Amino acid sequence: MSQSIQLNILKKLLLRNKKSSRLLSAWIALCIGCTLLLVSVMIWSTFRELLHGRSSSDSLGSTFLTVSKSVTDESMADKKSTQLSAQDIALIKQAPQVQDVGILSPANFKVAASLGSGQLNFYTLLFLEAAPNRFMDKMPESWKWKEGDNTIPIILSRDFLNMYNYIFAPSQGLPLLSENSVKALGFTLTMGDGQQQANFRAQVEGFSDRISSVLVPQSFIDYGNKTFAGGGTAQVSRLIIKVGDPSNNAFVQFLEKNHYATNAEQLRFNKMRAIVEAVSGATGILAILLMGIGALVFVLFIELTLAQAQDSVKLLQQLGYSPQKLSRFLTARYIPIMLSALIVALIVAIVVRYFTAIKMTTLQLNISLLPDTTVWIAALLSGLILLFQIKHAIKRALQQ
Amino acid sequence: MQLTIQSLIPLPLREKISARRSGIWNTELHFQAPEYIFIQAPSGTGKTTLIHSLYGLRKDFSGTIAWDEVSMSNKNAEQIADLRASNLSVIFQDMRLFPELSAWENLEVKRSLSNTVSEQEITEWMERLGVGDKKNALGSTLSYGEQQRIAIIRALLQPFQWILMDEPFSHLDKKNTELAAALILEVVQRNNAGLLLADLDENAFFPYQKTLFL
Repeated sequence: MSQSIQLNILKKLLLRNKKSSRLLSAWIALCIGCTLLLVSVMIWSTFRELLHGRSSSDSLGSTFLTVSKSVTDESMADKKSTQLSAQDIALIKQAPQVQDVGILSPANFKVAASLGSGQLNFYTLLFLEAAPNRFMDKMPESWKWKEGDNTIPIILSRDFLNMYNYIFAPSQGLPLLSENSVKALGFTLTMGDGQQQANFRAQVEGFSDRISSVLVPQSFIDYGNKTFAGGGTAQVSRLIIKVGDPSNNAFVQFLEKNHYATNAEQLRFNKMRAIVEAVSGATGILAILLMGIGALVFVLFIELTLAQAQDSVKLLQQLGYSPQKLSRFLTARYIPIMLSALIVALIVAIVVRYFTAIKMTTLQLNISLLPDTTVWIAALLSGLILLFQIKHAIKRALQQ
Repeated sequence: MQLTIQSLIPLPLREKISARRSGIWNTELHFQAPEYIFIQAPSGTGKTTLIHSLYGLRKDFSGTIAWDEVSMSNKNAEQIADLRASNLSVIFQDMRLFPELSAWENLEVKRSLSNTVSEQEITEWMERLGVGDKKNALGSTLSYGEQQRIAIIRALLQPFQWILMDEPFSHLDKKNTELAAALILEVVQRNNAGLLLADLDENAFFPYQKTLFL
């Protein structure tokens, strides 16, 4: 009872800023600052998620490139001019921005694919390649092969299917094929020629956006090169590399200087990524600035209120009220106001994220419905910084 | 609780003090509660400065003021607050009430800090000093005499081992002074506390054991 009377009296003495509109403006300023900060952190982290994520529908953020030697007028005549030596590989491993390097192992033997039923009577020579598993964007469960298995899983570049459907099939009067129908078809692969010939069943298990090739498991390429190509050392002419920022100048210059070619499309994406990162970075700086102003307005409001109550603060201390007690009372008053602004900001961020995620799904980009950890950490950090600032402002006012 | 004063000289009064003899400035004194001390101090000799220095409101002095052998200058804000809340009470010459609070709230703000005196007692004391009808009057609307009586009651609403008084009855007539002094003495005795009163002229408000000239 007497505690609540005391609180009422302290309220009367210390919080007599009669204009509640001032408190409201300070709260709104803080709220806008917090909201902008959290939303821009979220924009930044969403882009990061999209650019660096490994989800299957991720099509924006491939930082994987295939590297090979450029074929020039001069090198055309030499068949071996496209081969990458161990030195080349070591050099690329050391190149700026390069995080990982994998060898795309080609099949050094003849491969023919045939499909012989009804309307689809089809025969073509083909090439096969294998990539290390850590570089694969699609890894179906059936992605394995061991000696004795008659069926080989295949991952096809989605580009190839697109070319077939949009360019080849219409011009040749062939039926269009959906991804599912291609997966349902069984090919026959004929390996080698002459005496060492063997037939395998092949099944397309998925489509890759990352590697433009016809991919089979590494174990099959190793077996095939040993069995059908005489077991010579496989020559490497293409590498797959993981790079931090492919639009990085040092990296681009390295490629030009050493006459390496890459799939340039990825570079274009990454220029776009650089722009997106610059824009979200600028938004971030602006948000931090506004958050700073919001926090400043709120802290100044507290300081103004306490400056107006300075005589009371002094007399209360003369009567035996400890700075700690007064500080506790004031903190208990301002912290919930600060927290409410932060919570409103978080709710706005959650709502924005929810609708963004729904919108993104229609664009085939999957992000989680709730803000990710970065946003929660940002909220926690801003809360802690604000708490520190408020406590500091109160402490300063009580010491005066 | 012991009060020790050693070589105390308030810096603003340094020259004035060195020109005359004083029973307090620049000497060594020990007071032990429950002693009753009267300090007679003509105008301008630093009476309020002394009370404020003893209470920890001023630090512009040389020498030492120690409560129970702990120097005032070694105490931090929290320790000083604790001293004021439970060991040392004061009646200011200028009363120092909150003008925006009612007389009752002015008392409650002090009482609720230690909660050692009941609300009923406050009511009785207000009646005894003739301000029972002023409970709801704002501090700013009270006369000096009424303010002084509220300030006196406020000083008694905490546990204390010493009470410092700076011209506590300056705005009261003889009858009200007697009533207020009797109440103070009663509560001082109840707390087994010491009292130190500074005033302009000789008086017999309390049974002093020591009189010193400032």
